[in-house]
Amino acid sequence: MIVLDEVVVRYPGAQRPAVDGASLLVKTGESVALVGPSGSGKTTLLRAINRLVPITSGTILVDGVAVESLQDKALRALRTRLAMIAQHHDLVDRLRVHQNVMAGALGRWSSLHALRYLAFPLRGELDEARNALARVGIAEKLRAPTSALSGGERQRVAIARALVQQPHAILADEPIASLDPELAEQIVALLTTLAKESGIALICSLHQVQFADRYFDQIVRLEGGRLERLKSSVA
Amino acid sequence: MTQLSPHFFGSLLVPVGQTIGMACAGMLLALVIGIPLAIAVATRAPGARAIAAGLSALRAIPDLTLAILAVVLLGLGPAAGIAALAVFYTAMVGKVSAELLLAAPVPPVDALRATGSGRVGLATFGLIPAMLPDLLSFGMYAFECAMRASIIVGAVGAGGIGTELVGAINALDYARAAAIIVVLVALIAAVDTFGIAVRRYPRTGFVLLAIGVLTLWIDRPQLFALSHAFVTFAKMLPPQLSLPELGALPRLLWETAAIAVVGTALGALLGFAFGLVCARNIVPFAVVALVRRVLDTARAIPEVVWGLILVVSVGIGPLAGILALGLHSGGVLGKLYAEAFENVDRPPVLSIAATGASKLSTVGFAIVPLAWRTLGVHTLFRLEWNVRAAAVVGMIGAGGIGQALFLSQQLFFYKAMAAYVLITWAIVLAFDAFGERARAARLSAEGGRPRRRSGRTRARSRTRSSDRSLCDGSAGTGRFRERPPFEGRAAPSASARRSGARKSRRSASRSMPPNASARYPSRRRTSPVPRAP
Repeated sequence: MIVLDEVVVRYPGAQRPAVDGASLLVKTGESVALVGPSGSGKTTLLRAINRLVPITSGTILVDGVAVESLQDKALRALRTRLAMIAQHHDLVDRLRVHQNVMAGALGRWSSLHALRYLAFPLRGELDEARNALARVGIAEKLRAPTSALSGGERQRVAIARALVQQPHAILADEPIASLDPELAEQIVALLTTLAKESGIALICSLHQVQFADRYFDQIVRLEGGRLERLKSSVA
Repeated sequence: MTQLSPHFFGSLLVPVGQTIGMACAGMLLALVIGIPLAIAVATRAPGARAIAAGLSALRAIPDLTLAILAVVLLGLGPAAGIAALAVFYTAMVGKVSAELLLAAPVPPVDALRATGSGRVGLATFGLIPAMLPDLLSFGMYAFECAMRASIIVGAVGAGGIGTELVGAINALDYARAAAIIVVLVALIAAVDTFGIAVRRYPRTGFVLLAIGVLTLWIDRPQLFALSHAFVTFAKMLPPQLSLPELGALPRLLWETAAIAVVGTALGALLGFAFGLVCARNIVPFAVVALVRRVLDTARAIPEVVWGLILVVSVGIGPLAGILALGLHSGGVLGKLYAEAFENVDRPPVLSIAATGASKLSTVGFAIVPLAWRTLGVHTLFRLEWNVRAAAVVGMIGAGGIGQALFLSQQLFFYKAMAAYVLITWAIVLAFDAFGERARAARLSAEGGRPRRRSGRTRARSRTRSSDRSLCDGSAGTGRFRERPPFEGRAAPSASARRSGARKSRRSASRSMPPNASARYPSRRRTSPVPRAP
């Protein structure tokens, strides 16, 4: 469960806060669409939840733990529980697809385990990568070079990486921004279905709002850093 | 510790002065000869192609090889050093300046042409003013290279502090040798600092020209002892090797190649390890600052000087050469690799870090794979340079063809010596061509990248490759060092070469390829997002 209480994020030197008093409750297995124009603070809010951006005031609780108090190992553990899918899927092109997928396991692997996997992946680890890819429908791409994937396939790999992370929540930052409408709907459907099946909370920022009502439990609008509820899970 | 007395340092003033004088005089001659040749090439004067080809070919003779020839022709002392540096840097200045001038913007030059201006007018009123900042920046860079070269040409008797160092080592006076090395590193640091001052206040550069004129005046008797030079040169003709020498040649070539390859591999390993611990996005700043000083020192000591030290400690032979190349290359590659690690695209790194990955895992899964291509390009450039260096370190006893060349000079076997010079030249030319092809092949294999770039950018990229191959990319802080090299520099295709000056100038207005900034993000790029712990 993720709880945001009056969260304010102000960048150094900025005139107004990027996020201004946002409050939100996301339960396990629930999906939330975060809509709003460019520059409205969607990315900042998502990054604040997994502490890639420090918050100025307010509280963010993930599974009852305040994220702003976490350091080092505890912070890594928090990030392991929160999978992030970025706007441009941010895969490492030079790696193979299975290596990008298993990057999701880095939070639970030791550094030596991670380096060993790069050189000598074990059968069991490859099976895990294959299963994750099968869930997003591209199991055959296991050993393909990442640079050879299409836009839609890259986004599926990013989702597979998030699944391997075995997260409590997925934070997706405009995951369909660069896709055509048909593919965008497929990806949104896949993401929300997988989240529901696995009991994962999903917060997904969207530029296009046309799918939000059909696929998400809650819809909140962020404009000028302020949150406004458009659809509530209770309703 | 008598060696470190004020008297000792006083006794070094003359050799240090000679070294600086040789660099200034060599560069002065290189500018006086090289710039007119560059203008001839850039304005398509009759014979421009032949001049360009000649400059390219001359560039391939290593500086120490030229120095050994100059010592034979002009005798021991600074005059030989001046002559070697003048020839070497004439080729460099001529070629690189021509490329810079060819990249000047078209409309002002066409306007001048329309007034009926001649070649000199075109150059002095159009080309040179347009490209002056680039020319000045390159000139200072070349001077820094010349200063390093001026130190090492002394190792074969061409005067200056290099000769002092060899003398101290030959006399087994290691305390004195160590003190000279300290002076030498300080001298290189001083030149780098002076380089920054000249870039800021270009007029201070005239001091260098004045020193150059003075040195030429002092050494004029030796420089113009041409009759002796001609007589000695006649003794080198025709270049030939005896049967036993021919029999030993494959082993010498193999040894030189092995020194270059293994030395580069050692440098790459050291560079990789040190690069990781001096990249600001991987380790804390205090560690970065400390490791960078170590790398600066390894880089400031030229291969030949490393070689001199190592020949004493590990003995004469290829091992000394390998270690010399490895240590110097480790310093150069460590810095370049660290910059490559720092310049990787940030979003993929952040996305890996966001999975809760440890720092080491993030390095393995994101930073190293993202920087891999750039590391490969740097290493390939280094290998190209190290072939030259491998031929050169041999002359101070580190094995390979250089050692054979030096021995034949010492024994006055001039015909064999000339043959070894030609062979060295051929090896370097062949490896340069191989490097060009490897880059072109790599580029076409990876696909999707422009094979041709705009004239100005193309000129700069070639400039950089030439400066790398000529000065080893370890000098200076100026523009010619600050930019990362263009990855996978394409060999200029035959059609590009045919297209000539006008085409290059026409395309000069597009100064960067559209995706260049994405491929070469600025080192100072900062994210508006504050960094979280």
